[in-house]
Amino acid sequence: MLSYKGTREAFTKALIDLSAEDDRFLLVSPDSLKAMRATPFADLYPDRYIEVGIAEQNAVAVAAGLASCGLVPFVATYGGFITMRACEQLRTFVAYPHLNVKFIGINSGIFGGEREGVTHQFFEDLGIVRSIPGITVVAPADEHQVYHAVKAIANIDGPVYLRAGNGREHVVYDQDAPFDLGKIRVLKEYGTDVALFANGFIMNRALEAAEILNAQGIKVTLADVHTLKPIDVEGITKILAKCGAAVTVEDHNIIGGLADAVAKVSTDHCPAPIGRIGLQDVFPGSGPAEAVLDCYGMAVQDIVTAVKTVLSKKR
Amino acid sequence: MLETNSVAKLQKIANQLRLDVVKMVHDAKDGHPGPALSAADIITTLYFRELNIDPSNPKWADRDRFILSKGHACPALYAALARKGYFSVEEFQGLRGLGCLLQGHPCMKKTPGVDMTSGSLGNGLSIGVGMAIAAKYRKKSYNTFVILGDGEIQEGIVWEAAMCAKRYQLNNLIVFVDHNGWQSGGQVKDISGLLPILPKWEAFGWHCQTIDGHDFTQIITAIDTAKKTPGPSVIIAKTIKGKGLPYMENDNSWHKRVPTDAELAVAVEALGGNANA
Repeated sequence: MLSYKGTREAFTKALIDLSAEDDRFLLVSPDSLKAMRATPFADLYPDRYIEVGIAEQNAVAVAAGLASCGLVPFVATYGGFITMRACEQLRTFVAYPHLNVKFIGINSGIFGGEREGVTHQFFEDLGIVRSIPGITVVAPADEHQVYHAVKAIANIDGPVYLRAGNGREHVVYDQDAPFDLGKIRVLKEYGTDVALFANGFIMNRALEAAEILNAQGIKVTLADVHTLKPIDVEGITKILAKCGAAVTVEDHNIIGGLADAVAKVSTDHCPAPIGRIGLQDVFPGSGPAEAVLDCYGMAVQDIVTAVKTVLSKKR
Repeated sequence: MLETNSVAKLQKIANQLRLDVVKMVHDAKDGHPGPALSAADIITTLYFRELNIDPSNPKWADRDRFILSKGHACPALYAALARKGYFSVEEFQGLRGLGCLLQGHPCMKKTPGVDMTSGSLGNGLSIGVGMAIAAKYRKKSYNTFVILGDGEIQEGIVWEAAMCAKRYQLNNLIVFVDHNGWQSGGQVKDISGLLPILPKWEAFGWHCQTIDGHDFTQIITAIDTAKKTPGPSVIIAKTIKGKGLPYMENDNSWHKRVPTDAELAVAVEALGGNANA
């Protein structure tokens, strides 16, 4: 039954599966049907596919109107076009009235935008939406988690922003692994030297770094913080208390995303030194997906080094 | 043809709404009376003749929808909602105050009868398009009405929505442009290259009418015509900013200004309503 390959396809499959049982779900497309790999949905449910043209602000505001009438629209397109071009519509007309609109932002991170360059590399989206009250923010780690996450967010009332990729995402989860909205998931427990908090399609690198460190005698606990908001304060605090130091790993600017979310939990509940792997507040550039991550501070070796640095600061 | 006494009735209600607006802004010591008065006759016609709504059931799924996209004119909307019975006229006192029912700009979560949050200009038409598509999808017969300001339609999203409404041939979407010729910073004709307005909508494939936005017979006839068109319909309503109070008319300082006690007294005299009831 799981006939998808890639996070966009996983989204479409989840939407199709949801729609078989509930006619409230709609797809609002600012000419993103092909980009979203969502043509099978439109073929199956032509009247549930709302095409608004290349007009993201319109897409989000139309979705607000649909949601105000009891429908549940998914606005799906490039993450930056949702969170930047249509930011105000998302904030004032969806989040403020707490309307039930779901946002799927593809090409997330610089890995997702890769060869397209900065115009299509989105590394501010999580910071932008996190700062808006009342919106749930989710960054799953692979296609299977996207599939389950889409189903999970469909079943809560209120706006959600979910990150998807561009097709190059590595599979790191079992197909059937559940997606527990709002809860971190511990992926590796080698030990408690340092905590690794990661999310999104860089998870394979965090896993690899954890393994390398283990071979070198540094034992980390790796947790997937797929729900950035509401953040799992209890789960993160528990790991921080055990490890006493942490490194965050995300394909996002180090401002506004996972690093800040974890740092807030830490300062509020369990002060600890924290290293931040991510885009170091610079504009990246075009390049092959893996190479851009390597080039802009998100290489496996960068994670390894950050763990060692933070370990040396541990009291 | 419309009966003379129904026009007289609407005129009387419009006068009351205008007085409510002036009183509200006077008491709150803040707000936009001029833009509210230019839209007052359209709002009166919608709420007291046209809209199929139930004040005792504000969220009724089959109701007609109304979006005041030029949300800063909300004192006129609040007046209409209170006079329809959605909430007490005593709420007028709290306009723009802490913990108030009547926010500085319309808030659908706080004010009964407000179908959509508004105030950030340009967005109401897209939202109306969403409501109209929802009606088609659910096979419901309600109509969606939107009031846009003439300054407001300088926002690009308005034209994104115009294209979208055309694609879906939304014959259940009726839009008024409150064409009073003014915006915050001055006259529309001086600030933008927008004018003339009507050919723009024509070019987008909309059914277009131009009326006197203070003539109830014309407003009603235009709505009736709009309902019969096969696609989206816009009514360019020529209006006067501050209409109804000579000291306010076409004086753009009243875009946002608080009437003095003396000016309120003049309004009570001119509009012949009850400033307290």
